Formats: sequence, structure tokens, C-alpha cells
Amino acid sequence: MAEGTMGTPASAARPALFLRNATGLVKAWSTFDAFVYSFWSVNLITLGLYGMSFAYTVPDGQLLAAILIFGVLTTFLVITYAMLVSVMPRTGGDYAWQSRVLGGGLGFVLSITGWWFTLFLWAPIYANILVVQFFSPLAYTLGWSSVATFFTSQNGIFVSCLIVLAFVAVVVTLGMETYARIQKVCFWIGLVGLGVVIVLLLFASQSDFQSAFNREATSIFGAPANAYQGTIDAASKTYSGQGFGYFAFGPILLLLPWLAFYLLWPNWGATLYGEVRGAKDIRKPFWSMFWGLWVTVALVAVVVLLIVKTMGWNFYQSANAAYWNNLFAVSGAAAPPVPIWPYPVMFAAWLVPSHLFQAVLIIVMGLWFFGWAGTLFLSSTRVIFAAAFDRVLPAWAASISSKRRVPYGSLVLMIVPSLVISAIYAYKPTFTSVFLDATAVLALTFFATVVAAIILPWRRKDLYDASPIARYNVGGVPLITIVGVITGLFLLFMLYEWSFNNSNLYGTSFQSTPNSVYYFVATYVVAVAIYVTARIVRSRQGIDLRRIHHEIPVE
Amino acid sequence: MPKIFFATDLHGSEVCWKKFLNAARFYGADVLICGGDMTGKAIVPIVSENGHFTYALGGEQQTVTADHVAEVEANVRRKGYYPLQMSVERLHELDQDPAKRAACFQEVMLEGVDRWMTLAADKLRGTGVRCFVSPGNDDEMQVDDVIRRAELVELAEGRLVEIEGFSMISTGWSNPTPWNTHREESEEKLAVRIDAMASQVPDPSRAIFNLHCPPFKSGLDEAPAIDADLRLLHGGRALRPVGSTAVREAIERRQPLISLHGHIHESKGAVKIGKTLSINPGSAYEEGMLMGAIIQLDPNKGIKSYQLVNG
Repeated sequence: MAEGTMGTPASAARPALFLRNATGLVKAWSTFDAFVYSFWSVNLITLGLYGMSFAYTVPDGQLLAAILIFGVLTTFLVITYAMLVSVMPRTGGDYAWQSRVLGGGLGFVLSITGWWFTLFLWAPIYANILVVQFFSPLAYTLGWSSVATFFTSQNGIFVSCLIVLAFVAVVVTLGMETYARIQKVCFWIGLVGLGVVIVLLLFASQSDFQSAFNREATSIFGAPANAYQGTIDAASKTYSGQGFGYFAFGPILLLLPWLAFYLLWPNWGATLYGEVRGAKDIRKPFWSMFWGLWVTVALVAVVVLLIVKTMGWNFYQSANAAYWNNLFAVSGAAAPPVPIWPYPVMFAAWLVPSHLFQAVLIIVMGLWFFGWAGTLFLSSTRVIFAAAFDRVLPAWAASISSKRRVPYGSLVLMIVPSLVISAIYAYKPTFTSVFLDATAVLALTFFATVVAAIILPWRRKDLYDASPIARYNVGGVPLITIVGVITGLFLLFMLYEWSFNNSNLYGTSFQSTPNSVYYFVATYVVAVAIYVTARIVRSRQGIDLRRIHHEIPVE
Repeated sequence: MPKIFFATDLHGSEVCWKKFLNAARFYGADVLICGGDMTGKAIVPIVSENGHFTYALGGEQQTVTADHVAEVEANVRRKGYYPLQMSVERLHELDQDPAKRAACFQEVMLEGVDRWMTLAADKLRGTGVRCFVSPGNDDEMQVDDVIRRAELVELAEGRLVEIEGFSMISTGWSNPTPWNTHREESEEKLAVRIDAMASQVPDPSRAIFNLHCPPFKSGLDEAPAIDADLRLLHGGRALRPVGSTAVREAIERRQPLISLHGHIHESKGAVKIGKTLSINPGSAYEEGMLMGAIIQLDPNKGIKSYQLVNG
């Protein structure tokens, strides 16, 4: 029943493998499909523009250099994850890698905090992005200022959270195959929208932009004349920055934790399905993540340069500073003449004096949100399922409905706490720092996976020696260890800055944000408590959770 | 009461088979059940040429001396492939001639199963452990004869067996797959096959349905979506249910105590279908990891406990 030959090595025209017809043997996916997923993960518009709007907090930082450095350092993260995929393809994912290398208990605690508890926080973060990039600019553009105002109120923010949660629940119900089709449509239309934004910024001069900005600020918001200068003046009370060309290495490094908000995720969902036919196919995860990262880096560089050229760097930074400092009630902050988040897409659209065109462009660029936000709970659902199958969580956590295959158990476990967290976000502004920490906790989860990668060649020598990456060494040291150490240092630097920055630059320093510390300590305590309780309860039922990952002797 | 260890889809991984045999002692199980798809999917030629041996295993071609061939063969077997030493002429012959390649495959597969049966006899003799195997849809029909001849492994395919007061029916047949494998049939025929055994079960509440193919839309049957050219869709991330409606109907209608499945390696899980606990322990044979399920049966409660493990 032999059906084919394959795997011809480059060095010889002879088959390396004879295959027979057998279930599961598939041809690898198109690298482009996987690239699209990775590209969405480091979402240039939804997450990127939002994250970069905080760059003003490092006024001496050279953003373009920081983006390039971040790209280089994150490439090591990509290599680390691609290597882990090649060693343990079937059982891929942070939970499985950490559990198998670091131990079941540690793997559970780190994954459940990173992929379950922390993603509660991302629902309101996404909701806020939906407000500032979609509802608010669209409503103002269409002249529905009461709708726009509603979405900036506490009730409006909570309603936006409900919309995000409903959208995510619908996507989970539809399933990933259907959503993947929707994603592709969003991808292409979103790219066309981005192309329009780039063309508008490319062919307009700074004076064109100033005129357009002043015109629309008055038309849409009733701002006084010369709102462009008014924005810079409003920010000048609390912000003073260097020109775009200023270069100093230290401040560049301080920008990296802000960029992590969107550029740290090319490895999102770095798992491998199906049974691929050799190392060539296993390289695809690397290339998909690599290009997802670097195409975004290239595009963001283009967008930043166009912002500098057409809007003016000082204006862009000032607009962000004026908006956020006023919102966070920074001492001395003045309200900007355009009272909404400085959305570069909306500003670019203002170059065309048509509200209809502006609204259409905002809707089209909103597809960057809707094409990605649906995956919010995808990883959480998987981790909850894995924990339930390991008997750490009750069996109902992995329940699915028989008709539509809706994972209602895990959905309840995600949505109910998210509702509570969303309410806190909307109605308790003092908890803001908790939400700013959402990136840091995921980085900590990645760090644990990277530690697993570093020690893998010794801790799971059998697996490593049998893997295609075993032959990659530098000076006798396994390459996965070397790239893992570089990645680990990169993540540690950012974790240190998030936690201990003297100036509380990121709003997350332990010394200034006790709420944040309490929340995250509580999540780790709850995770440990769940695991310990499960160990005790299951032990009484005759189930020893320690043996889940204990390897059976071969001989 | 019996403590069962169930694993499936070892696909030629000798490491996994050895772990499977050792699982009885490791977990204190007295019944071992292998759910099918024992045989490997590929032959890795180790080509003898000018006093050296060349092969490629998941990467570039490598050359070793005769002293290292045994090590290479062990590594190949670990992944579930069959190592086969051959000349350059034999390599080209197999490459060109599908019939000879098929015969070669059958030879190495049956040799492999025979070797596994010997290993089982060596490991299980005197332990009192019962070991059942029911070949899966990827296993050629001749595999059954090799198992029938085995000293301490019982062929479970197509029959009702008693396990300390519990009854078990087994089949490795599946609904149609895109790969047109050896034991596939329509849902209607599969339903008849299962029903013929299930109707003999005296008490479904004390029955084990060991059916290789998982029930449709159970969450145990989610495989990566592929196109007609067997290419993974949507970056390999889109999953779709591919289980059997006949299996699902049999479980829903008969409500056995437990149903054991495999076939879809990615779809590890344990779900309730009515009163039935359905388990697919998944498979990661190519990593040399034995994914399995430990099930402690109880005369009163039916299932005292169960646990999925990665051994």
C-alpha cells in the first residue's frame, strides 16, 4: 500500500522516506495562511497604534530605532518557539511545554495565570480599543456626538465590554474554521484600507494636514481655529519632547516595554496541528512568525515615517500626551481641542473633506479589530480544556454542546469573570494599573516557556536528542539554549522595568501601584490554591496528579 | 476490580510500545488495551554505499559508518518509522515500483508487529496482565494473523471479551477517510458491524466499547481541516469534526459504561455522552510520548476513577 516517496534532500536526488497511505499524513499548510495569523497577532492598527500612543512617555526615545531593536530581539523569541515546536510538535503550547519540562504544578500555575486569568483583563482593553478606534471616531464623524459621548462614559465603556464579549462568544460558537474565512476577508480589506491611509499621508504635505486637521476639528468637534497648534499648546503643560531625529540609547530601551503591547505576540498560538512530513514543514512555523513580525515592523516603520512627514512628530506626540495626561488627570494637564484619542487613521481620513469617505475608512480599518479580536479566548479555551483533561479542573470545564460544539464550560469560565473585571474597569478607574499589567503577565508566561527551552536539552535529553534541532550547536552549546538565554534576558529587562521603574513610567511599578500587585499576587495564589485543592480532592478519588507527566520507563 | 490502561495510535513507535507494556507495572494496571493503528507510516532507507550508510531523518542527508547504524535504526524506530538497510539499486527499485514498495512495506510492518508480540511475551509473562490489541484502520488485515499467533496478546477485533465482570467489544474499522486506508467503510456498514457486537453485550452499564473511531461531534474527533489535496487549511488552525455518526449512535443508543477511542491524535479528551464516559487519550507517538488513560473500574460505581496521562 505504499503510495509515495518524498523528502529528497538537497544534496542527493534520491528519496529520503517512503510513505504509505495512512490517516493524518497531510501536506503542510501554506506559509501564507500561517503568516496571516501571525500578522494579525502583532496587529499593527488595533494594538500597534494604541500601544505607540504611549511613546510620548519616553520623550527622548527614538521610536523607529526602538521598533527595529524590538524586532531583532523578538526574532530570538520566534526562533525559541519555532524550536520548541520542532521538538514537541504534537503537544505544542505554553501549558504543555512548561508542564513537560518544568513540571505539572508549575506549568499549570504559570499558564492558568497567563492564558486564563490575565485574559480577563484583555476584554476591557479590547473594549477600550473598540471605543477609541471605532465607535467614538465613527460616531463623531457621522455627527452622532451623543453616541460618541455615551461610549466614553462609564456605562458606554461597560457596554463596549459587553459587545466585545458577545463578539468573542459568537466567534467561539462559529468555530475557528469559519472565523478564519472571516479573518481573510478582513485581512485583505484591511490592507486596502491601510494602503489608502499610506497614500493619503504620502501625498499630503504638512501644511495640507494642518489645514485639514483644523477644518475637521472645527467641523466635527467645534474646536476653535488652529486646533493643530492648540493641541501642541495643550500638551506643552505636561509634555516636552525631542525631535524625531534625536538619538540616545537609554531612552530607546525604555520604549521597548510599550512596544511589547503589540510586537511581542508573533508566537501567539504557536502550535502545530496535523502530521507534517519532515523538517522542511516544521520550518514553516518559524517563517510564518518571522514574516508576521517583520512585515509588521516594516509597515509600522512606514506609518511612523509618514506620521513624522505629514502630521509632524511633535504634533503626534503632543496629541497623545494631551489626550492621556488629561484622561489620567496628570497635574497641570489641559484638555486638547479634539477631545478623543488621536487616531492616525481618522486624522489621515481628514485629508479628504468628505465625512462619508472618513466614515468608510474608519469602518474599513475597523476590520483590523474584528479580524483579530475574535481569537481573544481561543488560547484560554485550550488551556482550560487541557487542565480539565488533566483532572486539575472539573470535567464540566471541558464540556461542549453536542449540536453546535460550543465549549460552554470554558466560555462560562472566561465570560463570567470577564464581566466582573469589565465592570471594575468601567466603574473603578483606580484599578487602571491592573490593566496596564496585562502585557507583563503574558511576558512572564513566555519567560517560563523560554526557561523551559533553555534547559530542555538537559531536562528532556531524550526528546531533544531525537529532534531535528539537536544538531544546531554553537561552541558545543545547544542553539535553543543560546537563543533562549538572549530571549530570556530581553523579557527579564522588560519585566524589571514594568515592575520596578523608578518613575512608574508604565503605570505598573510595584512601589506605586499596590492594586496591581494585590491583583496579580491574588491570581497566582488562586492558581496555586486550585492546583493544591485538585491534588487533594483527586488524591481522595484515587487519582495522583503528579503522575500526569511522569515518563514511563522504556526498558 | 480491573484497572485498565488504554493507549492507541502508536504507529510503529517502538519506544511507545515498550512504554505501553511497562505501563502495567508503572500504573499498577492489570489490563492493557491498545486501541489500534500499531503500524508505522514510513520507511526510512539507510543506504549502503562505498562502505558508508546514508539516511535522512527530518532534515539533511547524513552519512555514518557501520558502527553507528544500530543507533540510527533505534532513532528511526523511536519516531515510528521503519529503518531499512538497502543498496542504491534497491532504493531506486522501490522508488520506481509501487508494487515492490507495497510488498516491502507489508514485510517490514508484519516483522515489526511480530517483534512487538515477542517483546510483549517477554515483558508480560508471569504477570497475570491481560493485553488486548485491536488493529486500527491504518493496519493491514494481515496484522490480525500475527496478533492471533501471539503468546500473551489477545486479538480483540470483532468480538466480545469478558474482563472481570465487565464486557468489551472492539473494532478498529472507521468511517471513510481522505487516505483510503485498510479498514474503512460507510457509516451504514460500520453501524451494522458495531451493532452485531453490541447486541451481544449482556449489560451495557458494565460494557466497554473499544471503537477506534471517535463519535461524531464529540470534541474527541476534531482534526485539522484539509482540502482535497490533503493540504492543511487556514494555517493548520481550523479544526473540523471527522468522527463517526455510527459510533455516536451506538453510544447514544446503548449507553455503555465507557467508550475508548483514538484515530484523531490531536483530539485528546474525555467527555460524557449521556451516561457514557468517552475517552480519546490522543497520540504523540512521534515524540516517543505515550498518551494514555488509566481507568479504575468498580463493581458498584462502574468507574471509580479515570485519568489521562502523558507517560
